[in-house]
Amino acid sequence: MSIQKILLQYEPEPENLLRAIKDINKEQKYISEKDCREISKYFSLPLARVFSLASFFDLIKFHPERKKIIKVCSGGPCVMERSLEIIRQIEMLLKIEAENDASPKVKLEIMSCQGLCDRGPIMMIDDQVFEKVKPEMVDDIILNYL
Amino acid sequence: MQIITKNWDKIDPFRIEDYIQAGGYASLRKSIREMDREDVILQIKESGLRGRGGAGFPTGEKWEYSAKTNSDAKYMICNLDESEPGVYKDRIIAEKNPHQIIEGLLIGAYAIGAKKAYIYLNGHYREAAEILKIALDQARDKEFVGKGIMGSAVDVDVEIFQGAGAYICGEETALINTIEGKRGEPKLKPPFPPVCGLFGKPTIVNNAETLANVAYIIKRSAKTFSQIGPNSSPGTKLFLLEGAVKNKGVVEAPLGTTAEELIFNSLYGGGMVSGKEFWFAQIGGASGRLMPRGKLDQTLTYGNCEYPIGAGSILVVDKMADIKDFLYSWAGFFHRESCGKCVPCREGTFRLWEIAKRMKNNDLREKDRENIKDILWTLSNTTFCPLGNFAATAWSDAVKMFEKEIFPNTNKTNNDTN
Ligand SMILES: Cc1cc2nc3c(=O)[nH]c(=O)nc-3n(C[C@H](O)[C@H](O)[C@H](O)COP(=O)(O)O)c2cc1C
Ligand code: SF4
Ligand code: FES
Repeated sequence: MSIQKILLQYEPEPENLLRAIKDINKEQKYISEKDCREISKYFSLPLARVFSLASFFDLIKFHPERKKIIKVCSGGPCVMERSLEIIRQIEMLLKIEAENDASPKVKLEIMSCQGLCDRGPIMMIDDQVFEKVKPEMVDDIILNYL
Repeated sequence: MQIITKNWDKIDPFRIEDYIQAGGYASLRKSIREMDREDVILQIKESGLRGRGGAGFPTGEKWEYSAKTNSDAKYMICNLDESEPGVYKDRIIAEKNPHQIIEGLLIGAYAIGAKKAYIYLNGHYREAAEILKIALDQARDKEFVGKGIMGSAVDVDVEIFQGAGAYICGEETALINTIEGKRGEPKLKPPFPPVCGLFGKPTIVNNAETLANVAYIIKRSAKTFSQIGPNSSPGTKLFLLEGAVKNKGVVEAPLGTTAEELIFNSLYGGGMVSGKEFWFAQIGGASGRLMPRGKLDQTLTYGNCEYPIGAGSILVVDKMADIKDFLYSWAGFFHRESCGKCVPCREGTFRLWEIAKRMKNNDLREKDRENIKDILWTLSNTTFCPLGNFAATAWSDAVKMFEKEIFPNTNKTNNDTN
């Protein structure tokens, strides 16, 4: 869907600003400066307002992501189910370090609780969610989904 | 005693007919047809219901502030942002019985005179979003939501607003900011939202579990509700049993139940996973305190208590666990989730995270001990909003309780380059 089409789904009211930004981010995986200008025009709000809202959330990206992003939850309940071992296992397997940008292909991020603690540990590869992951399963998941 | 969980797994969340058959929406009808707004508020006040979002503020009193403020528009918001690590009770209510939340939200909107209500939903909750959307459509079809509710002159429209994954957006003023299309940073109080909230209008923000109690109170009377649990904080509470406890999951228990009962009674947790020995429990999520074995007999209430329940999670940690893993988990969480508005929290959580990472690599320096103390003091005393205090709660307890584990070689002075 084009940006204009997405925008036209919403009345140009401030309460729709985050909704529109999220939709565009979802469609293109990021929002460019040009998009921000269009959003600002459509909502008749200053460009700075659009940037300041969009940049507040980690979910909204300003550049296309070229890496695969692996995320592992490190909330207390997931830690009790060995999620930190999962992180270590991924680090060893892919020879990367969590939160480190060095690898051109993949990044391992530590993630906050997803509210899925009853199905933890939670791991994600891009948008795909894996539940009840065990350290022993990491090799298979990486091999099949990365 | 079941108020919230009563109909779970008995009714189909996708069928409003099931909810109605179980007596659902009768309280909304009673409120609108038989009760004045003031009566509804009085009932909620007399029931003694306190907010289940963490702070335990009396709900009826809060509604009264909004009801008494004159304004051309008012708003009612259900807080379903729920991002506290270890807390997922509101998601389960929404998935098992969405109409129970919606009915409470509508009664609240009627009571304060709001024509517009929002459900502010955690951005990660995909299934709950779907279920709530269908539930709202069905409620609209049955004329419980929208213009002229059940043939009356009462209008309440309900909309879902989904966040974008930030813990601080559960704080009510930050939540309001994001609906207004602004950064999710907290605002200075006063003015308090019940008087001046969304778009500058009186706004009530209530936790989803708080609202899920409302229909019961209207149906069964304030008195019935107020007789459950302790006087100062009546009713039941959803608790989340996690970690090394046998029966994990959501349980409903009267307030005033002790942590010991919740963990060891076969009605609830059923004891420790076999072979594991109790070490401590964290009460209330990542922002909660650490309860040692000797304090397990403390009752959990929203009164003045040593171990605040927060949103109700009870994480049971056994002696095989490493405290450093938890310090790492907490510090990382608050560092990621600090909104950055004020310096003590932005910098403090960042430094604590650095120390936690070093600690995990067994690279703690002698000076860190002093630094940790300073940072924790600063977070506890000088931050703009409670998130900064939360960041220091569990750490402060851990440093006191587990000094030997955290600083194993206290006598040795490491080379310090900082
Ligand atoms: C950092 C922070 C996060 C919060 N997160 C939530 C949350 O996820 N859900 C919630 O209901 N309340 C949360 N609160 C509390 C809200 O600000 C507010 O007090 C609550 O929604 C009021 O509802 P209640 O009176 O029904 O408890 C949070 C508060 C703070 C300071
Ligand atoms: S204490 Fe933290 S979360 Fe609260 S305003 Fe300051 S930086 Fe933001
Ligand atoms: S702690 Fe991992 S999903 Fe809640």
